[in-house]
Amino acid sequence: MTENNLCISVQKVSKTVDTADGVLDILQNISFNVEYQEALVIKGASGSGKTTLLGLMAGLDQVTSGEIILLGEKLGDKTEEQRSAIRAGKVGFVFQSFQLVQGATALQNVMLPLELGGEKNAAEIALNSLQQVGLETKKDTLVDLLSGGEQQRVSIARAYAVKPRILFADEPTGNLDASTGHQIADLMFHLRDQSGTTLILVTHEVELAKRGDRQILLESGRLQG
Amino acid sequence: MSGLPKIQSYWLMLIATVITVAIVNTSQLITQRISLLLDRQASELLAADLVIVSDNSLPEEYVQQAVNLGLKVSRTTSLRTAVFIEDDAQLVELKAVDSFYPLRGELEKTVNPGGDKTKVQQGPRVGEVWLDAKLESLLGEIIALGKSRLAANWLLTYEPDRGGTLFNLAPRILMNLEDLSATGLIVAGSRVRYRLLFAGEEGQIAKLSGWLKPRLGEVETIQNLENARPEMRRALERTHQFFALSIVLTLVIAMVAIAITARYTASREASKVAMLRAFGVSQSKLFRFYTWQLTKVWLIATLAGIGIGWFSQFPLQWALDGWFGKELPPVNAIQPYLIAAVVGLISLAGFSLPYLVNVIATPPMQVFRHIRSPQSIRRNLLVSGSAIAAVFLVLIILMQSSKLAMATLVIVLAIALLLPVIFRLMINTLLYSAKPGFWMRQYLLSRLKTNTRAAVFVMSGFSLALLSILLIAVVKDELLSSWQRQLPDDIANYFLINIPTEEVSELKQFLESRQVRLSTAYPLVSTRLTHINEEPVDTIEFSSPRAERLLHHSFNISFALNLPDDNILVEGKWIDSNSGLAQLSVEQGMAESLQIGVGDILSFSVGSEVIEAPITNIRSVFWENFKPNFYIIANRQTIEDLPQTWLLSALIEDAQKGELKKLLARFPSVTLLDISELMARMRSIVERASIALEFFFLFALASGFIVLFAAVQTGRHERQTETSLLRALSAKTSQLYRVNVLEFTLMGTLIGLFSALFASLAGWIVSVYFFDIDYQFSPALWAYSLVSASIVLTIAGILVSRKVYNISPMKILRT
Repeated sequence: MTENNLCISVQKVSKTVDTADGVLDILQNISFNVEYQEALVIKGASGSGKTTLLGLMAGLDQVTSGEIILLGEKLGDKTEEQRSAIRAGKVGFVFQSFQLVQGATALQNVMLPLELGGEKNAAEIALNSLQQVGLETKKDTLVDLLSGGEQQRVSIARAYAVKPRILFADEPTGNLDASTGHQIADLMFHLRDQSGTTLILVTHEVELAKRGDRQILLESGRLQG
Repeated sequence: MSGLPKIQSYWLMLIATVITVAIVNTSQLITQRISLLLDRQASELLAADLVIVSDNSLPEEYVQQAVNLGLKVSRTTSLRTAVFIEDDAQLVELKAVDSFYPLRGELEKTVNPGGDKTKVQQGPRVGEVWLDAKLESLLGEIIALGKSRLAANWLLTYEPDRGGTLFNLAPRILMNLEDLSATGLIVAGSRVRYRLLFAGEEGQIAKLSGWLKPRLGEVETIQNLENARPEMRRALERTHQFFALSIVLTLVIAMVAIAITARYTASREASKVAMLRAFGVSQSKLFRFYTWQLTKVWLIATLAGIGIGWFSQFPLQWALDGWFGKELPPVNAIQPYLIAAVVGLISLAGFSLPYLVNVIATPPMQVFRHIRSPQSIRRNLLVSGSAIAAVFLVLIILMQSSKLAMATLVIVLAIALLLPVIFRLMINTLLYSAKPGFWMRQYLLSRLKTNTRAAVFVMSGFSLALLSILLIAVVKDELLSSWQRQLPDDIANYFLINIPTEEVSELKQFLESRQVRLSTAYPLVSTRLTHINEEPVDTIEFSSPRAERLLHHSFNISFALNLPDDNILVEGKWIDSNSGLAQLSVEQGMAESLQIGVGDILSFSVGSEVIEAPITNIRSVFWENFKPNFYIIANRQTIEDLPQTWLLSALIEDAQKGELKKLLARFPSVTLLDISELMARMRSIVERASIALEFFFLFALASGFIVLFAAVQTGRHERQTETSLLRALSAKTSQLYRVNVLEFTLMGTLIGLFSALFASLAGWIVSVYFFDIDYQFSPALWAYSLVSASIVLTIAGILVSRKVYNISPMKILRT
């Protein structure tokens, strides 16, 4: 693994939070690397620190100690604004609870990150992205009226619309029934195969985890194996 | 119960309730003090239980009959005359009283202006006079009254039957009746008013009244406690009405604040209550807990509100003192405090209990899954019904009239129902007319759309608050400016009355040669209304007490070629001066009181002669303009041959006042009325009322800010989640800033637009139909409304945004 191939480098990362009962260790001394186009699955039980690790890797939060290098940029000394700029146009997200803007249409939701990044052909690109997830006919439907599976498709279309180099997915099938979850997983890996996007997937589902190139397991904030 | 909020969690609702209690307590204290003063004036106004007034001396048999019935009797005689202070002639109201006067109430006098006052049961001794404070410069001197020289040893500080001091034009001089004849002031033709005062038991007074009525002469009238209260002039009435309206509007804002804060508190409690219910805590236990919390809120709010209300009455008292020529008497009753506490309880319970019942009764799963069931819709109806009942109850308590309360409730409800519909319509129109391509617009509108119910509630609440504030502002300005419009600086400050016809042109020449500006000369024919459509007025029953008073007064009929300035023709055609037929123009208020209209024929007696003429038009008169105004105007031919005197108004500058003595010496029958002090007093009433209103304005503003704060807090959680999502999607700080600020600016603009529209409409209705003043469309109101609502909400948006920037985007992963 050469340094140029490194998409994300996690180096001796720890995360603690202050609670009423004292300092709580969420992650302890975690280190690993992710290569471009790799599909890494982070597994673990509830409360093991999976989502916290995903957030730190995406620059949504700051480490207590250690360092994370995202797309060649050290996140440790960056402000929220600067970390947001690193993500812009290069990172996509798929959330467990979809996180779509209610009251807006499917198309408007997909356009949102494009327009935030100043893309002039946002509508065209967003429509293309919706076609890829098979929802072009529902582009003008308010997302509130879509089913759970359809909402997650819109979320995936939104994530891929910016042609991200990395896609962070946090329990993407967690709020869906088994069959729909399976379809969503197929779609996500299909698009990833097409685009060559690096995928960081957090899940506790064994079948979904098996589809990744590599799995890491977290137990009580520590990396196992 | 652990896990449930402590009392501190209700602080927003607490502040809203404190303001409500404070408003009610202050207004109750002040209005009760005004009522006390009015009651005191009414009972003392006669200085007796029954009075007969006449322009001629009264028959001795009246006195004899009263004595036979065991009543006390007193006599007074009053007339206008002039005294000289240095070179200035000062018109005075001279009143001579016997040793029994006053039969009710007391006189008050002092030797030092501003010094201790002495209450006495008897008037001046023989050989002395008591002076009005305005004649202070004559205190200690011997003054000339006609042929007599009398010692002015005391200042008269209170006289029970002086009545409302507002419209007493001339200062009083009180003297002993035994001194009056020696002055020689009463000669044939003098305008003198004789009074016989009676006091005693109610039954005996009624007997005397019954005995007197068929015997009363044409110029004799009875005054009793029912008709004693002087008719308040319209300016005072308007100011008073406006005061009441402002209090109700301010209270409406405070109640909106309670409603919004209660909704906010209930929405915050929903998930906690659902969780506790899921764990098996019973609804009754939760209800008891929240009822006790609300009781604590009410108790604290009542104490704090009553404290604020009690202190607030002092600046208001300062502003209102002098409205009635006296200091407001203190209130010792517990009622204002009780009413404030009860209104606080009704408002708090009416608005917040249904919300809490709603939250407690909602099945936990519906809360967890954000489901709206038919039951929740029914519960929303309970919330609305309870709120309406609370507003209605409060209005009844404050207005003491279910009819007026119902009318106010209907107006408030209509606006409250209409506003959400309009706001919803506007949000939807904006949403569907927006084309894709501008993320912020779409995002903003989708935000409003998603939270339409909350946004509409908040916008309606804040709009209602702003509307009430604007309405107070617009009508207040209208009230003041309508005065200023009518009272230019060069308005006449003297009326010259009793000018004989043969002296009119000479008097005009005298004044014009001294550069005094004069009005047209108006003839005055003193008449008394005797018949309406040939039916004697004594046999007609009038529903209005004012009609009775009008019939017992003599009217001055004048003539005018054209409709006078500030008069508006409301019915019929203006007098045709060429027709030669008798025609009358009647003032609207008089026509309404006497239930007469165009076509009715009025008969007046003028000495031994009779005028009979049809009414050809009804006109409204702006009485407060201090120009010569008349109840009845006739065509020239109708009155030109009748005995008449003339009236002129004049603007006499300070430098010209030295000529007044010469004027009175040359034209001894002319009476000068100085109206500048009266004008100043009227101005002061409006200005002081305006200051008092500004005080209530502070309450209104405080309530408005509570509404705004609660509004901002209501959407805080959603706003944080959405901002966190935008951050995760790589939004820059400036973009977050814009989206938050613009959301509030957009809401502010919508609120500003609608508040201006409704305030203009309501201002027009209130001005024209309620206060009877002209309403002028005000672009400033629109600008003020738009700019203030946009700026206030934008600032709120900026403050909200500042906190939002610090939210970690990790929040979105935890949601």
